[in-house]
Amino acid sequence: MLHYDFMQRAFCAGGIIALVASVLGVHLMLRRQALMADMLSHVSLAGVAAGAYLGWNPSYAGFAAAVAGAIAVEYIRRSYRAYSEMSIAIIMIGGLSGAVVLMGLNKGMNKSFSSYLFGSVVAVNETELILMLAAAAVGAIFFILLRRPLYQIAFDEETAQTNGIPVRPISMLFSIVTGMIVAAAMPIVGVLLVSALIVLPAALAVRLARSFAAALIIAMLVGMAGVFTGLTASYELGTPPGGTIALFLLALLILGIVLKKASVIAGKLGNRQNLTIISKHQTGQPAQNGAFPRIKSNKLAAPATHTHGGTENESYV
Amino acid sequence: MQIASLENVVFGYGSVPSLNEASMAIHAGEFIAVTGPNGASKTTLLKLALGLLKPWSGEVYLAKLGASGKKLVIGYVPQQIAAFNSGFPSTVLEFVRSGAYESGAWLRRLRPQERARAEEALRQVGMWEQRGRKIGELSGGQKQRVCIARALAQQPDLLVMDEPTTGMDEASRKGFYELMHHHVQAHGRTVVMVTHGLEEVRPYLDRIIELERKGEGGWKCCTTTSCSGHFAPEALSL
Repeated sequence: MLHYDFMQRAFCAGGIIALVASVLGVHLMLRRQALMADMLSHVSLAGVAAGAYLGWNPSYAGFAAAVAGAIAVEYIRRSYRAYSEMSIAIIMIGGLSGAVVLMGLNKGMNKSFSSYLFGSVVAVNETELILMLAAAAVGAIFFILLRRPLYQIAFDEETAQTNGIPVRPISMLFSIVTGMIVAAAMPIVGVLLVSALIVLPAALAVRLARSFAAALIIAMLVGMAGVFTGLTASYELGTPPGGTIALFLLALLILGIVLKKASVIAGKLGNRQNLTIISKHQTGQPAQNGAFPRIKSNKLAAPATHTHGGTENESYV
Repeated sequence: MQIASLENVVFGYGSVPSLNEASMAIHAGEFIAVTGPNGASKTTLLKLALGLLKPWSGEVYLAKLGASGKKLVIGYVPQQIAAFNSGFPSTVLEFVRSGAYESGAWLRRLRPQERARAEEALRQVGMWEQRGRKIGELSGGQKQRVCIARALAQQPDLLVMDEPTTGMDEASRKGFYELMHHHVQAHGRTVVMVTHGLEEVRPYLDRIIELERKGEGGWKCCTTTSCSGHFAPEALSL
């Protein structure tokens, strides 16, 4: 299988995109913008259709449209702060309706559009591979350099802003990077399933991981596993790669959730047994109530002079 | 030293102002409670002071430098921040450490003193034993304390908290007030908090800023009351 150039390209491109798309997915999920990938893929399709209609390179046009859509959604999101999903719905309607109309005007090209809709390993040409590598490089640099501000923004934008983080410029850059990665992933999984590559590994990672760093690593591993097994199965079975990869990712997600559930149930059963043993032997320690530690009352009663610059190591717990 | 102030600020979310000609000043080293009935724009007042909202008219001042001459560090605990997504993949310690970085230090690893700061903040709020737990698994009151620990780990010059004692039991609230009082007294921090439990916190306060309805149309303005014991009256300009 790997002696074919197109399969080498597909594995190379798929692996690289799976890494950045998974990390992107974790951030999108935590920012409650999981549908953004779906929306931008539709906008990108409109760009592809517009490019084909105007005689431009469809890949470049799709890439530019996804980035423009990402910028637009960030502006609209600020207008609908309480309903940020509204911005996604608005842009998605614009992208999809534009794509449908432009595809209708390109009747002779409907066949090539199917590779954009459902993905095709053969469709990964040199231009798209370069675009993927560029998007992956920009995405990797972005997520590594801004990992701390992105974590804080994902948790709470207002707190991040008061911490001196330039939330607006970083959010705008995040949207642009999202557009780039979505457009780059399109040839592999297709417009209709690009969000699977971004959202499914993140959905499993967020479920399994205890820490943020672990969530990113799990998402990347799951994304890579889904892409490689999906591409292999797609080649062997002759099925569309997009759908096959998405199904494998979905299977991994279900398997992960089932295993997690099983471990939780096993843990509960174990705890119940331990509790029974403790009650039998009457050795139960009083549970730590986790109350706020009290400061010694003589400190509070001390003269209330504002002495600046006390030591942090002072023990008052 | 004045850290933040609002002067004749007008702001609203619709066409009618919810805050009308509100004025207040916050000085370094004060422990202030902001109080008022539900819907009195207490949260709005804090957000205006922090620059998170832009007023329709009036002046908002927020100092760029703290009393030490370095860039002013602000710790902010928003209302019900603890109601975050229960699936947020982060341990308690990882979350609190995210507050210990110096502003702009996005690339380097945490320094030992920054790690120690985060750990100390966790101990101060009584959550050290829970450091390895996922924050989404904590109770509401525990989440609130973790958020306070994160703000403390920043070693803020100005610590602003919106109803920080929500979900805490009485003993925890008392411990929390003592801790804030200690930070004001021993470390010179400025603490501003929105609260409904004024009677509990009053002994620790320097000043109370009260939002009152003035006339019709939901207009409010600030009145300030000095609390005896801790406060130097000459520091007040309003």
